[in-house]
Amino acid sequence: MEDELYLENIDEFVTDQNRIVTYKWLSYTLGVHVNQAKQMLYDYVERKRKENSGAQLHVTYLVAGNLMQNGHVCHKVAVVREDKLEAMKSKLATIASVHVYSIQKALLKDSGPLYNTDYDIVKTNLHNCSKFSAIQCAAAVPRTSAEVSQAQTSLQAGSQTQSDTNTVSVPVVNGHGPSTAKQPSQQPKGIMGMFAAKAASKPQDANKETKAEAKEAPGVSTVSSKPPAKSNIMNNFFGKAAMNKLKVNSVPEQPKEEKEVVKPSVPVAEPESSPNTVVEKPGKKTESARIQQKDKKSKMKRVDKSDNEEERDPENLKKKRKRIKQLQSDSSDEEDVPLPPTPEEENAPSPPPVPALKTELEPAATEVSAGGRKRKRKRVLKSKMFIDEEEGCMVTEKVYESESCTDSEDDFAKSKPPAAHKQPALPMKKEPKEERKNLKKGTATANRANKQVSIMGFFQKK
Amino acid sequence: GNDLALKKLCELRAGEKCCVVGTLFKAMQLQPSILQEISEEHNLVPQPPLPKYIHPSDELILEDELQRIKLEGAVEVQRLVTGTIFAVYGSEQDDGKFLVEDHCFADLPRLLPWKGPSTDRFVLLVSGLGLGSGSGESLLSTQLLVDVVTGQLGAEGEQSCAAQISRVILAGNLLSQNTQSRDTINKAKYLTKKTQAASVEAVKMLDEILLQLCTSVPVDVMPGEFDPTNYTLPQQPLHHCMLPLASAYSTLRLVTNPYQADVDGVRFLGTSGQNISDIFKYSSMDDYLEILEWTLLAGHISPTAPDTLGCYPFYKSDPFILTDCPHVYFCGNAPRFQSKLLKGEDEQQVLLVTVPAFSTTQTACLINLRNLSCQPISFSGFGAEDDD
Repeated sequence: MEDELYLENIDEFVTDQNRIVTYKWLSYTLGVHVNQAKQMLYDYVERKRKENSGAQLHVTYLVAGNLMQNGHVCHKVAVVREDKLEAMKSKLATIASVHVYSIQKALLKDSGPLYNTDYDIVKTNLHNCSKFSAIQCAAAVPRTSAEVSQAQTSLQAGSQTQSDTNTVSVPVVNGHGPSTAKQPSQQPKGIMGMFAAKAASKPQDANKETKAEAKEAPGVSTVSSKPPAKSNIMNNFFGKAAMNKLKVNSVPEQPKEEKEVVKPSVPVAEPESSPNTVVEKPGKKTESARIQQKDKKSKMKRVDKSDNEEERDPENLKKKRKRIKQLQSDSSDEEDVPLPPTPEEENAPSPPPVPALKTELEPAATEVSAGGRKRKRKRVLKSKMFIDEEEGCMVTEKVYESESCTDSEDDFAKSKPPAAHKQPALPMKKEPKEERKNLKKGTATANRANKQVSIMGFFQKK
Repeated sequence: GNDLALKKLCELRAGEKCCVVGTLFKAMQLQPSILQEISEEHNLVPQPPLPKYIHPSDELILEDELQRIKLEGAVEVQRLVTGTIFAVYGSEQDDGKFLVEDHCFADLPRLLPWKGPSTDRFVLLVSGLGLGSGSGESLLSTQLLVDVVTGQLGAEGEQSCAAQISRVILAGNLLSQNTQSRDTINKAKYLTKKTQAASVEAVKMLDEILLQLCTSVPVDVMPGEFDPTNYTLPQQPLHHCMLPLASAYSTLRLVTNPYQADVDGVRFLGTSGQNISDIFKYSSMDDYLEILEWTLLAGHISPTAPDTLGCYPFYKSDPFILTDCPHVYFCGNAPRFQSKLLKGEDEQQVLLVTVPAFSTTQTACLINLRNLSCQPISFSGFGAEDDD
């Protein structure tokens, strides 16, 4: 049953889809060991040839063997077309292996398309490229980012000590690289020091240290347990193998020179810690919750995210500062309104003071969570005109009136609430944006109200 | 012999036979010199790079701590280069030149005990991958190489052989010369603003190849002449941020050039080839293997640095002096593959290997650590032309 299935698959790939089916491509597509894939291809070729069906198949083979060249034995590995197979075989003194490399319908002029096929499939499976290979390496375990940052910091610390003692790294046996694994706590602080400039750094640092230490512990333990003992585990893990699976473990001796094992890696600036610091900052829970949500969504896109976060962080700080300034400036100057909101607009996470302001003012505040502005009652500065009989004149007064409106208008002239955070549990991405939009609108109208009579005033009064 | 007097240059007297030890300096007429260019700056065409700068009129001068003296006699001027530590036996002439009767080098350094493995273990030496060259000829061969090493190609026998490979050393020139793109330096900034350096794509390709290799075997990556690292020797390792995918694996080791390591108890020492090719330019020796052997005998990896080859100015100690004799001594980016087992006086055995550039020869070297034998492996695909 199974046998027929793969034959059909190969048939489909070659004849219907007109693909170039290399052993590697087949191995990844069907999820089988490479040797099995080669066997499958061979079977298919045999059957097709026996059937003598009209379909033309072109096969390329891989030949490997020794040949004498310039007086010494040279090992040669070559991909050849079927018609050249015998010629190549005769050139080689001893043949180590011959197997099918690929099957395709059309005759290939050169080996470029073979390379492209393999390149594409490897690129899509880059992270488990040796899953179906015959050699397993116990030490080839990708490190987590914690170990990576640890390696980075120890290497940086090491390079510092090296420069101090004026030693050259040239013909130094590689084992002399520093292997301090206990230094990372300083380094993360150094990097995060840029971001955690403002207050509330203490609880963060404490948090980070415990976290860093927690990370260290597993990091150290994995490092120590790396050597060949793991090969058995790997064996069992891949134990349920196909017939030809070869369990040859290349046990790389990890001799004493591997003290320095830790090697640097992506300086992703501790993506774990940066969201943490953001979380702890007061008054930013919406944004932080949103970031957490993002984290959960895509772990692989860490690099991009951390970049964004890094960009956002200093801007957040700036914004935070600006916000404070704005609150202060409001008490002195109403006209200062346009200044702070505009940078806030540009930044994606804008924990605006507006909802805080608004919710404080309104007695019935339910709108914030819903994310939409419905009808509201709020106090609006209006000018009332009435005739004063006593003095025989018309008086126009500016009075606060409670009025229902659908648009939200900002009132920076009103009292400044503290930067309160009755943020909802569910973060809404839309909310800050909407607030921003409303902010913009509100400021615009506020501007106009203060600065010049708008054309709409014709319709609005009375 | 001990009956000879070892004198300093300042103590020499005419006609007296003695032995002097010093550093050689070769005065070469064709050697590119910055001062010449400056002095003739108005009507000078800068000297084009020649394959060899030797000239019959070159002279050898021996320097010690205080003086220098011209050498004549039984010395082969063409074969020697600046910077070699040299001992000469002879006498001073009346005209102030030293007539050499015999000379010798430092000879092989002291022996390192052998702790090699008892079973077959291999190390694969590759150099000159030349990625980013824009021509796809060697790409398939590179892929074949990776496949062999990771155990995907070949029948079971081949695969079990490949499983014995305990280390892969990439000896320099991972990127091709085409990625250097020096034009951007001369162009105006507004023209080059959005263009990406050619090496960026090449490094991405390198990262993917290294990732495939690292998942099954430890890899040591040495930088070379065209790689994105510093120019002067010793070249520092490539930075890990350029290889984000592969750096996640601890099997990847980014190392310096020159590089010395113990692999399974066998001491390896080698460079990416800049030192050898520099000596090639300034002496009459043509064979890379010969030059390699000569540097070993002279006791110094790169005597021409810093004279003609860029080198960090060490003033307290010279790290390029050989103190221990390695078991395997290699250089990368040679024009072709050569290997030789050199036997020294103290029973040292050194395997000398010149690793050819993969981008041109599609050949790599497989070294068996058990018996210090070396075998080239070549890879090929098929092309439109049939050359059988």
